[in-house]
Amino acid sequence: MSAGSITVFLLSISIMLFFAKLLGEFFTKIKQPAIIGEILAGVLLGPTVLGMISPDMLEWLFPKTGEVKTALDGFTTIAVVLLLLVSGIEVDFGVVLRHRKTAFSISLIGIIVPFALGFGISYLFPEMMGVQDKNIHLLFALFIGTAIAISSLPVIAKILIDLNLFKTQIGFIIIAAAMLNDLLGWLIFSVILGLMDNTGRSIGFGQTILYTIVFVVFVLFVGRKLINQAVPWIQSKLTFPGGILNFILILGFLGAAFTEYVGVHAILGAFIVGIAIGDSAHLKERTREIIQQFITNIFAPLFFVSIGLRVNFIANFDFVIVSVLLVIALIGKVAGGAIGARIGGLSKNESLAVGFGMSSSGAMGIIIGVIALEAGLIIEEVFVGLVIMALFTSIASAPMMSHFLKRKESFRLQDLLSPSNFLYSSATDKETLLIELANFAAPKVKIPAKEILQKVMEREKQGATGIANYLAIPHAKIKTNKPYVLTAKIKEGINFGSVDGINSRIVILLLTPENKNELQLQLLAETAKKFSNKEKIEELLSIDDKNIFIEMLKQM
Amino acid sequence: MKSLFNKLGLAITFSPTGKALLAEAKRLTELFNARLMLIHVGEKNETTERLLSESISNSGLDESTIEIIRTNGDPADTIIKTSRDACVDLLIAGALEKENFIKYYIGSVARKIMREAASSVLILKSPSETPKSFKRFYVSTDYSSESEKTILTAYNFALLEKADDFVLVKDFHVPGLASTIQGSGSLDELEAAREQWEAEEEIKMSLLVSELNLRGIKVDIRCLYGKEGWETGNYARIHNADIFAVTPPSKKLKFLDKLFPQNMEHVIKELPANLLIVR
Repeated sequence: MSAGSITVFLLSISIMLFFAKLLGEFFTKIKQPAIIGEILAGVLLGPTVLGMISPDMLEWLFPKTGEVKTALDGFTTIAVVLLLLVSGIEVDFGVVLRHRKTAFSISLIGIIVPFALGFGISYLFPEMMGVQDKNIHLLFALFIGTAIAISSLPVIAKILIDLNLFKTQIGFIIIAAAMLNDLLGWLIFSVILGLMDNTGRSIGFGQTILYTIVFVVFVLFVGRKLINQAVPWIQSKLTFPGGILNFILILGFLGAAFTEYVGVHAILGAFIVGIAIGDSAHLKERTREIIQQFITNIFAPLFFVSIGLRVNFIANFDFVIVSVLLVIALIGKVAGGAIGARIGGLSKNESLAVGFGMSSSGAMGIIIGVIALEAGLIIEEVFVGLVIMALFTSIASAPMMSHFLKRKESFRLQDLLSPSNFLYSSATDKETLLIELANFAAPKVKIPAKEILQKVMEREKQGATGIANYLAIPHAKIKTNKPYVLTAKIKEGINFGSVDGINSRIVILLLTPENKNELQLQLLAETAKKFSNKEKIEELLSIDDKNIFIEMLKQM
Repeated sequence: MKSLFNKLGLAITFSPTGKALLAEAKRLTELFNARLMLIHVGEKNETTERLLSESISNSGLDESTIEIIRTNGDPADTIIKTSRDACVDLLIAGALEKENFIKYYIGSVARKIMREAASSVLILKSPSETPKSFKRFYVSTDYSSESEKTILTAYNFALLEKADDFVLVKDFHVPGLASTIQGSGSLDELEAAREQWEAEEEIKMSLLVSELNLRGIKVDIRCLYGKEGWETGNYARIHNADIFAVTPPSKKLKFLDKLFPQNMEHVIKELPANLLIVR
């Protein structure tokens, strides 16, 4: 490269990073995925905006041909490979297997339905999608089907953490299904790439598929074990994190080079190697985070900005194509995911939440679009449609998921506290109070009061249930399907054996299903946590209105 | 007090660890005030009979007080079936410290016993001819009823041994968490979430201890973030546990579970200490 080209290349990289960060941060602040800002940065810097204002400046900074273009393309290829490598590292077969029934059902049906819709419409109406060459009808339709079927794990993960749902059963199921969707999606995509015109390739289609299968099986079954042996050695003998990062990158690029050589694109190799590396129990969490940061803050923004540099988003905006892609993506993905979840045993609201969760195609849909554009399979209008579809589904999935999950039955203390399950008591001893509580709870949980009392008393004999700060939590496991929480405010304090020696004036009875040990512990923990501030509790004790009392307790 | 285990079964071989296993079984039989049954799988002839008698008398066991079953067939299947038929409630066996790659796929006696025995199992990693009591107990914990049973059994065992340490260890992992960095570029958010989950788990663990009403030995709790099933075992290994107690999975393992190990399978693959599986 000439000195002039190097200067332009470095300048363009720094401008891309600057705008990517600026807009990425803005979108993060407004609770949207950073990728939207990064793509918008590309739209600003590319033919859509900068090209309109100053075509010369655009051509100088981001030339369409020449050394700078080659260098930038090399950079974005590395970025895509690395993005798939980290996606692979995050795949956890343990969680997929633990939730296999539901996860398989969600991801399989969640792929089949949108794939069939995308494939069917593109195959039947190719002209509508701008395909003139009859020789590529089939491949085109297969590509569209895959681009619509794939989901984006990072977008889904970010939604789950924002909704505080990551470490819940439904969160694990969605993540497991998304991981499986990634794996199946990339495998299908690789087969399609193998089907493509192989002129210039050293090997034929049959060999491509054979080598790919051998590669996947070898890496996942033999390579995985070897990597697991190597990781602890590298982490202890070489510098950290340099040694392990180097090891991961070397393997990732090697895998990518191999699959590119056999004709199925570099990304599959990086993804499969990533899975094998991520499976190692020895791989430190810190390593995962460092590699994610390294890629998220350098390579991913450059790749996403480069999307906007490729095409003019306004000139190539085709309303029909965008609408068709959006409609089939939303209907296919939401319906597929939701039907899969329903078959997998989830409730109606949970299934719809899963459907919307799985609908975000994010970076993965865009990567497929880029590969298809580079391969000449799709026209720029379809590419713009795919990018808009990926962004729209990433924005829409969070609020929709949140909406349906809010309608789902909740067993958090916050949702179980209610003024209708509240009583004032003037009891002066523990037994009288517990009889009163059992009588109140009995019709609500449809269990005889005597039985409730017996269970609660059994637990009382085992050890004190007085906590501190005027709180006691008598509790028991009973034959019920749902937890029940009864709050009582006591006129005079009653001795429940609290650790601070103060008599209890707020008594919360927890009745939980017999087979849900963790739920009981979770509710106990949530209750105790609310009573950590003595001053606030004393303030609460001065409240006489039960509605205000419960509202204040909820807010603690 | 009801005996923790009434009938112990020992799978015996004439390997170098055979003598040590007999000595360990003798000590445990006395500790639990239990009966002992020896299961020997192999050909019955004069030599094996003589060797068996010699081994028993050398270990100090009284042959007349123990039940000896000699049988033929696949070692693991025979041991499992014999001990089930004889209502053994703790099956003791030795294990090599680490088994090689090939053995994993062809299966081994100890592994099959660990996975499939109907009773509780104690796998001794390096049995000694002069056995000592176990002083450091580590228990892998979740919140299931089965896990409660494991904790209580291990605790009563520890009480009998007058153990020094009793540690409940819980590991948890939130798969895909690191990928949230891609969504926001923020590490702080991820760390905050993890710290909050760790705190929640520790509160639940301490509540679990008070629910179980464990009295006699101080119970320590430890909550770890990392690969489930592996972190707890690794923690026990690092802290030189004498006994590592686990709860087996409630469902029978399928081929895929062995191929991509989860929970107890990690421990079976690489024993962190003497392993107590409570059923």
